[in-house]
Amino acid sequence: MILPLLLWWLLPAAEPAHKLYACGITSRGWVVGLKLPPSGLFLNAAGGWQRLGYTHPAIETLDYDPRNPRVIYLAAGNGCVRSTDGGATWRITTSWDITELRDVSVDRNRPDTVWVALPDGVGVTRDAGRSWTWRGPATARKFTQTIRVDRLRAGRVLAGGEAGLFLTSDDGAVWRQVLAGVQVTDVAQSPHDAGEWMAATQDGGVFLSRDSGQQWRRVSGLPAAVFYNASYDPAMRGRIAVAGWGFGVMVSEDGGKSWVARTAGLPSHNVWRTSFDPDHPGRLYASVHEEALFVSADSGENWRSAGLPGSILTDMIFVPETRR
Amino acid sequence: MIALLLLALSTTGDESFAQRVEKVIAHNAQGSTGYQHIAARLHRREDAAWASTKLVELLRDPGGDMFWMFPVTAIAYLDRGQLSAEARQALRQAWKTYMPYRGDTENHWLLYYTCLYLMAQKYPGEAGETWYTGKSSAENFQEAEGWLRHWMELTTTIGQGEYDCTHYIGVYLLPLSYLAAWAEDPAMRRRARMMLDWVIADFAVENLNGIYVGAHARTDDKQVLEKWNGVSSDFGWLLFGLGHPLPGYSYYGFFYAASSAYQPPEVIRRIATDRTRDYVHKERKRTRHRWRFTDVRNAPVYKTTYMRRDYAVGSDQGGILQPIQQHSWDVTWEVNDPRGVHNTIFSLHPYSSTHELQMYFTPMPDFITEAVVRSKKTYDSPDKFLGGSPFEQIVQDRDTVIALYQIPPGTRFPHINGFFSKDLRDIDEHASGWIFAQGGRTFLAYRPLAQYEWRPIKEGGRRLLSEHRSNGTIVQAASAAEFADFNEFKRAIVALPLDVRMDPTPSVSMKTLRGSRIEAVYGRAPVIDGRAVRYEDWKLFDGPYLNAEVGGRRMVLTHGDQHHVIDFNALP
Repeated sequence: MILPLLLWWLLPAAEPAHKLYACGITSRGWVVGLKLPPSGLFLNAAGGWQRLGYTHPAIETLDYDPRNPRVIYLAAGNGCVRSTDGGATWRITTSWDITELRDVSVDRNRPDTVWVALPDGVGVTRDAGRSWTWRGPATARKFTQTIRVDRLRAGRVLAGGEAGLFLTSDDGAVWRQVLAGVQVTDVAQSPHDAGEWMAATQDGGVFLSRDSGQQWRRVSGLPAAVFYNASYDPAMRGRIAVAGWGFGVMVSEDGGKSWVARTAGLPSHNVWRTSFDPDHPGRLYASVHEEALFVSADSGENWRSAGLPGSILTDMIFVPETRR
Repeated sequence: MIALLLLALSTTGDESFAQRVEKVIAHNAQGSTGYQHIAARLHRREDAAWASTKLVELLRDPGGDMFWMFPVTAIAYLDRGQLSAEARQALRQAWKTYMPYRGDTENHWLLYYTCLYLMAQKYPGEAGETWYTGKSSAENFQEAEGWLRHWMELTTTIGQGEYDCTHYIGVYLLPLSYLAAWAEDPAMRRRARMMLDWVIADFAVENLNGIYVGAHARTDDKQVLEKWNGVSSDFGWLLFGLGHPLPGYSYYGFFYAASSAYQPPEVIRRIATDRTRDYVHKERKRTRHRWRFTDVRNAPVYKTTYMRRDYAVGSDQGGILQPIQQHSWDVTWEVNDPRGVHNTIFSLHPYSSTHELQMYFTPMPDFITEAVVRSKKTYDSPDKFLGGSPFEQIVQDRDTVIALYQIPPGTRFPHINGFFSKDLRDIDEHASGWIFAQGGRTFLAYRPLAQYEWRPIKEGGRRLLSEHRSNGTIVQAASAAEFADFNEFKRAIVALPLDVRMDPTPSVSMKTLRGSRIEAVYGRAPVIDGRAVRYEDWKLFDGPYLNAEVGGRRMVLTHGDQHHVIDFNALP
């Protein structure tokens, strides 16, 4: 156990195929109304973190155009903000009527189509942000926290929020409620099996679907807590991490059948987000509330700080280095 | 000499509006640390070299989001050829390199879009690369105008969202003043003046010697007790010469004065200053945007305010109508000098929950309360005097208020706080169950509907703590001049027919001092003189001075021979 960890720290890493971005704010000691410490979008480069683009208190997450990963879409308080040059310049693509974005997802098979989760529903652009329309479920409770487009099927989208989880297979023309009675905080598609999805909730635990999001069952073996995130390890089939408040990080190595707490070494058990590094099997990042970003080389058995002290990170995203 | 003259005028209280404006600007021209001091010097065409140097220095590190935008926009317009080329360049460049956050509520957006509108107007025809938005001047202008018109439409049809705020009224008057002064489009300037009239009239009709009274969407821990001590009073003084300005004047009052210094029409001044007649004024407002836990994004708010020379009584219908800083009802009594005086009485359920915060804000639950408490210190405090509760229902008839509480088991802080000011006199816990007191020239009768204890308040006075989940408060006010003495008032109150029940829900059946019969049952529409209150019929403004229909975009202002109409339907 110790030797691999030592080697990981001492040996030079192979050139990664992905860049790591982090979204969030440096909030420790900050009070609304005071000058905001470094916040917004951060890029892990040259062994450290650099802030990219504008300081902003509400950049929730990002997604990218698979045809050109230098095209980035931010889900931000000021709207959906787009860069076409890797973050050198930006444009707020939305207008006044779209606010406080919670999530963004690019349709991998039709990348000019971008979906956003909004406090008042679901928005979509068909022309890479030049124009936007509302295209969400016809439900009275519209708060939407998370949205993902099926990576294999254009126009097939899962959107989760206060009213549960909704699925459309026809580009948002018709939405069907597939999970009810819970407030969904995150939805993730397995990188190994496109038919497998996970959903984290504020009040009902974690759910798993093996039929492309149509039917869901609650995952057992997890505590009663607020879950903010479920993430798959792209490099290891069956390995999943969930993060949340009070319990920290739990990891399953068998596709969600059993779970172990992976909090030893973390300064608190309040974790906003986890994310696996696709270039390094078992390398897991965790955003620990107002402490720092932490990283583990062994799926959470051991942790060390990875920078960004005092932060709340709402997402850590790996973006391909080169065009694909 | 001018300073002496101003000082002399300030002690006489006979200043004109123009003199008050000049005082505010002159005061700020003496400072040397912030944007407002630069703006004041530019306004007076003084010290342009210093202003330029200071501006370059401040713009090296912009911060404050929309609250940064407004002083910088004012400086851009007050420049008028005075700033150095370097300072002007730094100012323009900041709108490329710094992205202000648009915020999450109406006052933020009004600041943000007013400033974006004016800056896009000032720098027309420039490409997206020169703006933090990435949008061209024309696109920024169009977006800003779109939101401004949208907000005006909402406000004049279903009411203001952050209604009747004691602090944030300044954040509404300031940008409207900018537009009234600096919008090149005559239609926008006219719209802005009309919105100023609308918001100022809304304040004028519910002020008591410059103090904003009644229910508020937002006030703060200080001003909810010391009713004078806030931005609204500064505007009461600036606009109408009422009461007293804040020491050093408010930041917002200064920028109002330094931009349009708009003086509302005479009819509004008369409405603000005439308290010779008692009147009931009713309003319909709306909640700010509610994102979760409700099907109604902007729910209606129903306000009642009873104005008299000696006191005012105001309320909303109860419930969570705004997060954190709501103030639902009180009696405010008039005093000659309200500075340092806690001239109010009220009760509330000190509600605190992530449910409320998630209803109005987008973040996740676990940190949201702590994040709020960092700036709103008392939000999660059991002894607070600020905030609404979903378990409070209120009915008012003139100077009688009945507030009923039914707090479910398991609720955080399952008790009632009653505020008893240090400035009340002759408090008498009468054997009848009423608590009598005097505030200023006002007699007060306060009836707790459940057992209570007293707790000291750090700022002075006592907190009535009643640890019963089924609870309520009745307050009846009257002018001392109506009675021979305090004892006669007490006898009159004790003689009022009153039936209080707590099972199965709190209910009160009573006859008021004014002869009205009120039936209040928690969970049901209140009944006054045999008629259920039909909130759905309430107008946007309804009273002797201001009248507006829901959806009407039109307010009629009347006072004596003065008549004025604000009509947005007449605009393109």
